[in-house]
Amino acid sequence: MNRFSGALDRLGRAVLAGVEEMGKIILLFVSVLGWMFRPPFKLRNIFKQMEFVGVKSIFVVVLTGTFTGMVMALQGYHGFRMFSAESLVGGTVALGMTRELGPVLTSLMVTARAGSAMAAELGTMRVTEQIDALYVMAANPVKHLIVPRVIAGVLMTPLLTVVSDFTGILGGYFVGVHILGINSGIFIKNITRLVELNDIYNGLVKAACFGLILSLIGCYKGFNTYGGAEGVGRATTEAVVLASISILISDYFLTAIMF
Amino acid sequence: MIKLVDLHKSFGKQKVLDGLDLEIEEEKTTVIIGRSGGGKSVLLKHIIGLLRPERGQILIDGTDITKLNDRALNEIRKKFGMLFQEAALFDSMTVAENVAFPLREHTTMKETEIRETVADRLRSVGLTGVEEKMPSELSGGMRKRVGLARAIALRPQIVLFDEPTTGLDPVMTEAINRLIIDTQKNFNLTCVVISHDVRSIFEIGHRIAMLYEGKIIENGTPEELRGSQNPVTLQFLAGSIEGPIRIM
Amino acid sequence: MFSLSSEAKVGLFVLVGLIILGYMSVQVGKQTLGLKKGYTLEVVFDSAAGLDRDASVQIAGVEIGRVESIRLQDGKALVRLRIVSNVKLEKDAIASIKTHGILGDKYVEIYPGTHGETYLAAGERISRTERQADIDKLLHQLGMIADDVRGVTSSLNRVLAGQAGEEAITSILTNTKDLTRNLNHVIVSNEAALHAALENTRQLTGNLNRVVTQNDEKVRQVMDTLKSASLEMEKTFAALKEITTGINRGEGTLGQLVKDKGAAEKLNQTLASLQEVTQKINEGRGSIGKLVNDDETVRNLNEGLTGLNRYVNKAEQFRTFLSYRGEYLFDKSDAKSYLDLRIQPKEDKFYILGVVSDPKGRRTTKDVTVGNTPTVRTEEWDRDGLLFNAQIGKRYKDLVLRGGLLESTGGVGIDYMALNDKLKLSFEAFGFGRDRRAHLKTGAEYRLFRHLYLSAGWDDFVSDQDNRSIYGGFAIRFEDDDLKYMLTTTPIPK
Repeated sequence: MNRFSGALDRLGRAVLAGVEEMGKIILLFVSVLGWMFRPPFKLRNIFKQMEFVGVKSIFVVVLTGTFTGMVMALQGYHGFRMFSAESLVGGTVALGMTRELGPVLTSLMVTARAGSAMAAELGTMRVTEQIDALYVMAANPVKHLIVPRVIAGVLMTPLLTVVSDFTGILGGYFVGVHILGINSGIFIKNITRLVELNDIYNGLVKAACFGLILSLIGCYKGFNTYGGAEGVGRATTEAVVLASISILISDYFLTAIMF
Repeated sequence: MIKLVDLHKSFGKQKVLDGLDLEIEEEKTTVIIGRSGGGKSVLLKHIIGLLRPERGQILIDGTDITKLNDRALNEIRKKFGMLFQEAALFDSMTVAENVAFPLREHTTMKETEIRETVADRLRSVGLTGVEEKMPSELSGGMRKRVGLARAIALRPQIVLFDEPTTGLDPVMTEAINRLIIDTQKNFNLTCVVISHDVRSIFEIGHRIAMLYEGKIIENGTPEELRGSQNPVTLQFLAGSIEGPIRIM
Repeated sequence: MFSLSSEAKVGLFVLVGLIILGYMSVQVGKQTLGLKKGYTLEVVFDSAAGLDRDASVQIAGVEIGRVESIRLQDGKALVRLRIVSNVKLEKDAIASIKTHGILGDKYVEIYPGTHGETYLAAGERISRTERQADIDKLLHQLGMIADDVRGVTSSLNRVLAGQAGEEAITSILTNTKDLTRNLNHVIVSNEAALHAALENTRQLTGNLNRVVTQNDEKVRQVMDTLKSASLEMEKTFAALKEITTGINRGEGTLGQLVKDKGAAEKLNQTLASLQEVTQKINEGRGSIGKLVNDDETVRNLNEGLTGLNRYVNKAEQFRTFLSYRGEYLFDKSDAKSYLDLRIQPKEDKFYILGVVSDPKGRRTTKDVTVGNTPTVRTEEWDRDGLLFNAQIGKRYKDLVLRGGLLESTGGVGIDYMALNDKLKLSFEAFGFGRDRRAHLKTGAEYRLFRHLYLSAGWDDFVSDQDNRSIYGGFAIRFEDDDLKYMLTTTPIPK
């Protein structure tokens, strides 16, 4: 009985801790919103973060996008061939990329690359008292550190998603047309027939939400780091795991709302 | 003028500050000593508002900062400079940017003025030609100097030092001590220094306060402290393992 | 190396990203961009199953719009279409829901209306829709058919499966084989005989024809004779029956003969030699045998059969119907009967011969003129007298015109055939006389079963003799093949 109540106790604590953490992240988001529109704007910081989150993620996003599109074309081809509907491969790849895989994979890659870096960077700043230094210098760390990162995340993830969508479709086109021999005109025709503007735009809205999630969680975990180098490692891991899970879960709800 | 009244603070079950009272004289250097992990840094963070006490008052020029909101607190903080233990330079910025940070944040100086001020502050801590280096390229002593330059960039009234000489060799320790003394004189600062380096405290301190079990148990000039009969102070200054301070 | 500031890098990236986004948007939104300005039309479908928002609207496979919304209205689907502004649809345009292939998307196909009609304005409704073969329904029906087929095959299986079924089939096949062989045998053996028989028949019928036409009177005598002969025959048969019964019992010489073993033995021997003979014929021995196995004979036979075929075909076209009609005259409380033979050499031509028994009987009039007195006409009704029908008729589609003798007077009739000939509406006019109004009759006849008809109508409805009457009755009509073959002019083979 004792063990049982102990387990219940742990479960309750875990749930409470989760709820508390969620609440704190939302509070952080609110304060980010508060600081975001309060001048002076640290454009330089924002651009630096945009470069880090966006420009430096291009390569990895292009790589994942292209290969995802190629794999989708290959898999889709084998499926559709059963119905003699190979020409639908193009549309399927394009729909899949713009609606789901583009936003989700890009966000996961940005999480892995930039979200983790945010957590590590802010965590290090926390344990080396740089964040305290900011406070002491009457500079709000949320404004100086988190706002630029969140802005960069929200703006750059959709842009990277565009790149991912495009290279994914190119990859699918390459495999479908040049390797599997689907007629290129029909391939493209089916893309434009099946994909609608809203598919692309909703995908980008998703990506923006994911960008918000991953940057907010990365910053939150980094900002609340404790316990030295080990703490930084822990914060980084937690940030990536939590952000990835949140992206995948929120993807479901966003999809349910939008499509 | 800093006055701490009946401060209480605990982390979990551990009481760190337990009814602490302390008055810090203006334009003097006050050194707070105490054993490692005894709450010295916590005390310092209370003075600058990084931590809030559970009970008690912190009066800065007559204002109780424990009651202030963030914005008002930031106004008070502009009177402060702080040198952190590991200098806490921003890794992502050059030395010049680090020193210029408070200037950019709180003044409307032009770039040229900022550049001049940065050079001036760096000169006053004995550094030249390091503006474009990154903090990671500097030695520990140099980082502390840069940290001090950043702390005094805005010409604060009060500078807090968190264990300025910890981790330095004797020569560098001496150099930093001299720097603190010189800076205090030159800028007419009220300095609060946390240290457990016995040699340094008598060199730089105008007054020395002994923190033990969450309270200030002695507060006086170095001479007064030398003549203290308090067993805790005696044991601490002598560096003896015999006495009331429990090692475990 | 030339290096960019982070601002420049971000700017470049944003630029490239927006260009790609713009390109994709334009590619994807090409069709829809022009649509925003278009106008809307409404159309109501019984079912919009499978049709989605933004589904294509096409004319002749060219997209001219999209489905804007689908709503329910009075249990039907109200579909609003957005059409590009440069396409105008006429008022009598037809809308239907179609599918790209079997598994493809549904779309709305529009058949533009007739040129010159007024155009539909924005917000108006396309009133004409066309129902499309519903693939679901089709599949459902296919499924039912498959079920039926399965039922049949499974019962077949039940019948045929197992040893009993197999044996039954084997025996059927064996029987068939034997039968055909025997048949073959018979035909081959009797080729010449058949040939001769046919020739004889032809001559006979020809003669008969001639005899009948030339010797009407004689025929009647013959018939009378035949009649009395048949009466005699009947007596003879009765006697014969007595005799055979006697034989069976072994009475008399014949009876003893039949019962006698030796006689039976002789009979057997006779039959055996007969068999020997036929065998020889079969093997082509002897003159008869040669004849039977001769190629030419076979060819002749073939030709004969071809002729026979043609003859049969002709006969096939030729149809004869016998009918009996009974009509009850409600106002007269009496019945009228018709017996008709209808000869129909072609589908649209027929002759009717028949007799009618009218309760009034046959009317005969006599004009008696005595001196200068006005002629006095006396009428006599012969209650047992029969009236005759003899008409020719021709059919034009559903309309039948006929004329000739109707109830022994000149007249015409017109029939209208409806409901696949199940219902006949007819009008007859006959019995025109100076002293009385014509006999008009109108009625309907409905086929209840294959050979049974119900009829009702109004007889003699303009009569000035108080003869008008509502009638109701029934008729039996069937096709008679025996008569047909008798009546067919015998064709000459070849």
